[in-house]
Amino acid sequence: MNRAVRKIRYRLLSGARIIVQLAALALFFFLFIKTDYTDSDTLQYAVNILFRLDPLLALATMLALKTVIALMFPAVIIVVLSLVSGRSFCGWLCPMGALLDCWSRMFRRKSGHSPTRFPDLPAVLLVIIVVSAVLGVPLAGYIDPFSILVRGLSQAVYPGFNEVTVSFFTFTYDRAPESVNLVTEPLYAFLQKTVLPADQKYYRLGLISLAVLGAVFVLEFYQRRFFCRSVCPLGALLGWCAGLGLLSVQGGDDTCGRCRICRTTCRMGAVDEDRRIDPQRCTLCMDCFTACPRQIIAFDPVRPVSGPVGLSLSRRRFMGSAAAAVILPSVIGTRTLAVQPDPLLIRPPGSTAEIEFLQRCVRCGQCMQVCITNGLQPVMLRAGVEGMFSPYLVARTGYCEFNCTLCGQVCPTGAIAPLEKEEKHRFKIGHAWFDKNLCLPFAKNTPCIVCEEHCPTPEKAIRFQTVSVVDEAGETRSLKQPYVVDDLCIGCGICETMCPLPGRPGIFVTSDGEVRNPDNRLPSPDTETDVYG
Amino acid sequence: MKRRRLLKQMLLLSAGFTLAGPFYRINGNGVRAAGAPDIARVVGADYGTAVKEAVDMLGGMKQFISPGQNVVVKPNIGWDRNPDQAANTHPVVVRTLVEMACDAGAKTVRVFDYTCNEKRRSYNNSGMTEAIASIGDKRAKLVHIDQRKFKNTRIPEAKALKEWDIYKDALTADCYINVPVAKHHGLSRLTLGLKNSMGVIGGRRGRLHHNLGQNLADLATLIKPELTVIDATRILLDNGPQGGSLDDVRQLDTVLASVDPVAADALATTLFELEPKVISSTVAAYEMGLGEMDPGRMNIMERSV
Repeated sequence: MNRAVRKIRYRLLSGARIIVQLAALALFFFLFIKTDYTDSDTLQYAVNILFRLDPLLALATMLALKTVIALMFPAVIIVVLSLVSGRSFCGWLCPMGALLDCWSRMFRRKSGHSPTRFPDLPAVLLVIIVVSAVLGVPLAGYIDPFSILVRGLSQAVYPGFNEVTVSFFTFTYDRAPESVNLVTEPLYAFLQKTVLPADQKYYRLGLISLAVLGAVFVLEFYQRRFFCRSVCPLGALLGWCAGLGLLSVQGGDDTCGRCRICRTTCRMGAVDEDRRIDPQRCTLCMDCFTACPRQIIAFDPVRPVSGPVGLSLSRRRFMGSAAAAVILPSVIGTRTLAVQPDPLLIRPPGSTAEIEFLQRCVRCGQCMQVCITNGLQPVMLRAGVEGMFSPYLVARTGYCEFNCTLCGQVCPTGAIAPLEKEEKHRFKIGHAWFDKNLCLPFAKNTPCIVCEEHCPTPEKAIRFQTVSVVDEAGETRSLKQPYVVDDLCIGCGICETMCPLPGRPGIFVTSDGEVRNPDNRLPSPDTETDVYG
Repeated sequence: MKRRRLLKQMLLLSAGFTLAGPFYRINGNGVRAAGAPDIARVVGADYGTAVKEAVDMLGGMKQFISPGQNVVVKPNIGWDRNPDQAANTHPVVVRTLVEMACDAGAKTVRVFDYTCNEKRRSYNNSGMTEAIASIGDKRAKLVHIDQRKFKNTRIPEAKALKEWDIYKDALTADCYINVPVAKHHGLSRLTLGLKNSMGVIGGRRGRLHHNLGQNLADLATLIKPELTVIDATRILLDNGPQGGSLDDVRQLDTVLASVDPVAADALATTLFELEPKVISSTVAAYEMGLGEMDPGRMNIMERSV
């Protein structure tokens, strides 16, 4: 095969890669937008597939739990792919990688060789993640590229996009002349039907999620694919598979022209001084194939024995990382949180017991994205530092919709178990309490039982008794005062959401009575005859 | 036009007072009490036919809609409940009214409600999405509430609720048809036509509960349906307004229709074996002269289909 033919072939392959990459990105965005109620009680698309394909999350979660999670089996596909064709996932399929490439292209960043800033960091992070997972504390969700990406997009970028769009069309609707509205209103309707969310959403840690995602993109100005080269532990894991794998790329050698164009072209810093290509870093983007003036770079179906294999960490660094990973798990169990969980930490229906929940949760944020009432919010520190970004119900923001089971369906790891509707109807996630200093019928002798009106259990968990009260004018009036029936309340929080008091609610939910924690059981005078033991 | 109608109704109403004496209990095509509001009460297992019959007994849809008009049909779609659970207006009742409005030559027929549960779930599971789509007429649209259309509006005749955010489309419609479902409600005993108007107002609606009867009557001075059709095909007797248990549902196969919103509410109250005076919004609206609340002074036309 002569050079000209090879050049055409490589150009075609390189073009094919870009098309595949863009198609994968488009699929990612399609599934992202469909991570929502789609007029059906069940999710219509495998919107959580990206997280189920992720071997880093699968490894960390399964090691932490010491069990096999069938939901995460698709991760084997990516492992096999990496064994067969190196880190092609990073160059061809990864949505984060694709977005970073688009971003660089937008700002016309030329590659130019610069040494990878922290070449060992991905492997160090991988070791820390694996070791702490074995010790029961999975940290993968904080640094996994998909978690960072989806969290940032769903909790900041997408709501922000909607906010700006709605503001614009509100302005044209209120202020612009009719002729303008003839164009803008159909456009707005079209956007609502296609890309905009059904409702504006609000998130507690939106800015933090944005800052983390933003940092990944800002670092791109320092070096192309900075995150992939110097941070991504998933990349390190795939690189490790690639090192064992079948296919690699044959770089230049002593006989080539020594121009080192391949080295300056490479966005991953995978080509060394001697123009050898490191299979642990090469993402098979094929830029060097077309850039090489002599087209001598080619696929090499059989691995050369030389070259680095396995994690390229020194023994000292490996041991250091492993030792560092021991610190957090050993201290976590000694905090007060371990014996007294925060009573306002209300987990979604179907959630497993707290320790297992945090081991399974990969902080992808999909449950919060799919929560139709905006009630699920990311936790800051209520669940401890290792619980950050995990979901909890903030009933003043939104409630748990009685007939909805989407969060359990979307969870890629089973941290929130999928529940049937009938199961969910009886699944107690918390309990409602009246604050009689605030609740209007108690505090102000004012009629109001909005909580009772909204209470969704067919036999209402909030009821009222009619009492006689003496009002400020000294007159006796009859008034309906609400109360909670312990056995019926499931803690959905709609009472708290709908309480018409402007600030603090007159009724609020706590995690008391949640089924996943027997220690949180409500006191019951019927079963405990002698409470003093 | 509305003012003229109000004056006319008030004249007729006062005439009704002066003539009050004989107590008419009128059936079907019976005698007509002077000035008494017409109210149709149709019983029938085929809800579509029942609704048609009720509206025809009032003179037909053309009485209320002129060709080219913009029509709003406002059912109760507040809850994520299915039609059997009787928390929302029955989709067949709504579909029939929308079809009749289209047949009468309406330019657009919009159906909406500001839901309590999540909006898409409420529209879908109430059967409304399917019902409106099955008409297959481009003029008929089930639309979600557009927050931009809530405009702070003064209510000049109000005694208590002087101003509130009210949905523009409800106020600007050429013909507004109110289609509540009759059901139990903890605070107000029942929720009927006047309470259904809460589905076209914004803000923290729960705050209206503090003086609910008067607030609803005040709203009724501004939101004036040309026609009220009350769905009592099945009624929720307890655990309202959203129910959930079929044990609380009673099937009545009944549809009421009237141009007088207060009369419609009052007569619907009797279906629950309650007196109209126990519903505070009915009393408040009656006292403001918005309609008749004594079934004895209504021209009740009954029919079975």
